Amino acid sequence: MEKVCVLGAGSTKYGKLDDSISDITIQASVDAIESAGIEPKEIKAGYISNVFGVADKQVHLGPVVMSNLGISEKPSLSIESACGSGSVAFREAFANVYAGFYDAVLVTGVEKVTHTGTEWTTTYFSYCSDFFYEGGAGASFPGLFASMARAYLNEFKATEEDFALVAVKNHDNGFLNPKAHLRKKITVDDVMKSPVVASPLKLYDCCPFSDGASSVILCSEKFAKEHSKDYIQVIGSGRGGSPAALQGREHLTTIPSTKIASDAAYKMAGISPKNVDFAEVHDCFTIAEIVDTEDLGFFEKGQGVQAVREGQTKRNGQIPINPSGGLKSKGHPIGATGVGQVVEVFDQLTGKAGERTIKGAKIGLTHNFGATGASCAVHIFQSV
Amino acid sequence: MSAKQEFVDTVKSGKVLARKCTKCGELHLATVYYCKKCGNKGFENAILDGKGKIATYTIITVSPAGFEKYTPYAWVVLKLDESDLRISGFMAGIKTPVDLPIGTRAKITGFDDRGIIIEKQ
Repeated sequence: MEKVCVLGAGSTKYGKLDDSISDITIQASVDAIESAGIEPKEIKAGYISNVFGVADKQVHLGPVVMSNLGISEKPSLSIESACGSGSVAFREAFANVYAGFYDAVLVTGVEKVTHTGTEWTTTYFSYCSDFFYEGGAGASFPGLFASMARAYLNEFKATEEDFALVAVKNHDNGFLNPKAHLRKKITVDDVMKSPVVASPLKLYDCCPFSDGASSVILCSEKFAKEHSKDYIQVIGSGRGGSPAALQGREHLTTIPSTKIASDAAYKMAGISPKNVDFAEVHDCFTIAEIVDTEDLGFFEKGQGVQAVREGQTKRNGQIPINPSGGLKSKGHPIGATGVGQVVEVFDQLTGKAGERTIKGAKIGLTHNFGATGASCAVHIFQSV
Repeated sequence: MSAKQEFVDTVKSGKVLARKCTKCGELHLATVYYCKKCGNKGFENAILDGKGKIATYTIITVSPAGFEKYTPYAWVVLKLDESDLRISGFMAGIKTPVDLPIGTRAKITGFDDRGIIIEKQ
């Protein structure tokens, strides 16, 4: 098996973008290629993740990207796995380089939905749920996570103000990220006074709908060494699944796929959660970050809120979570998010994160899931 | 008749059509094809009473298309009395968390374009 490295990374800004889905996908891809210092013809295959290309009149994005890079003869794979699409594309690319099929590949994730408006996005996103029981009975995505939040409030010593602290922390981080969608600091009071979307979650507990694209170049260690640019190594990769509907899960405050994927990734990397210096986790809603940090093994079940109160997940805390601003502040272009998390880890571990830099960090983790965690991928990276 | 249609028809009478594994006895909702516990493909029908307690819920104020006229409403997860099975659905007339403490008794009452309908007992 080959050692797999990330050689370059690029992203568009996240937010409301005017350019087409094809244009932003290609822009991010070119950024990653230039960051890696390679020529497009050195790329052996492309992995392109996206969910709602139909909203901007372009599906089958793979060949469009490859054609615009001047390598139309190269194979591509267009991938959909709801909000976890990016990390699934990354995983498929990783597996192929790991197995020795390709020595350098492009992974680009993209989403372009803001032009469709809140009702369209709320409705179409609900198709990612187990629709018969959830979306088809009126559950929005905020609603599904709100029902996890309600169960958490009932089971553990937690308050809505505790959840708000996650949003405040992630906005503090995103304020320092020039690519972030919502670059403004907020207070607990701002969160508590924002309109209720799905009780107990309020508008500022929710990530925004975003447009954006992110891209990385994955390659063998040999290929990385032949190019003189900075690179990081992928030391762990894991995937897992959960019952598609919340009702089928043993606990309503745990996402099984996170545990399965992270256990596999930790095992492959030969490390435990305490060896991780920082993590980019799937905080589509504030409750999600609390649940994620427990399921990833950073805190005991029910202790995630106490950790947030104590500031343990801030940039200068014991285990910084979402230094990029996370989905909450950086934004959540759903097909791009999983790749965007890798871009942040690459920037952090190669000294490109500016004011957001986690001092002395050597090991970073990404955690990204689809829907309410019905599918999940976790990756672990190390500086070289 | 499809398994899903049979399930819907049963829900309309306030009952839940479950599938009991003929090998290990594990209960599933009607549309399963292999047992999640032992992998067996054989099942027999088990009709469960649609009564139980609210396991969790949310009150939706920003709804998907088609549900605007019902807001605010609850989407609830009901834990059935007779098994460990939970089932989700739509509940009208819930405005604040005071209206629906976790553990509130509720029952399945029907099925329409809002999905499975659940009401307080």
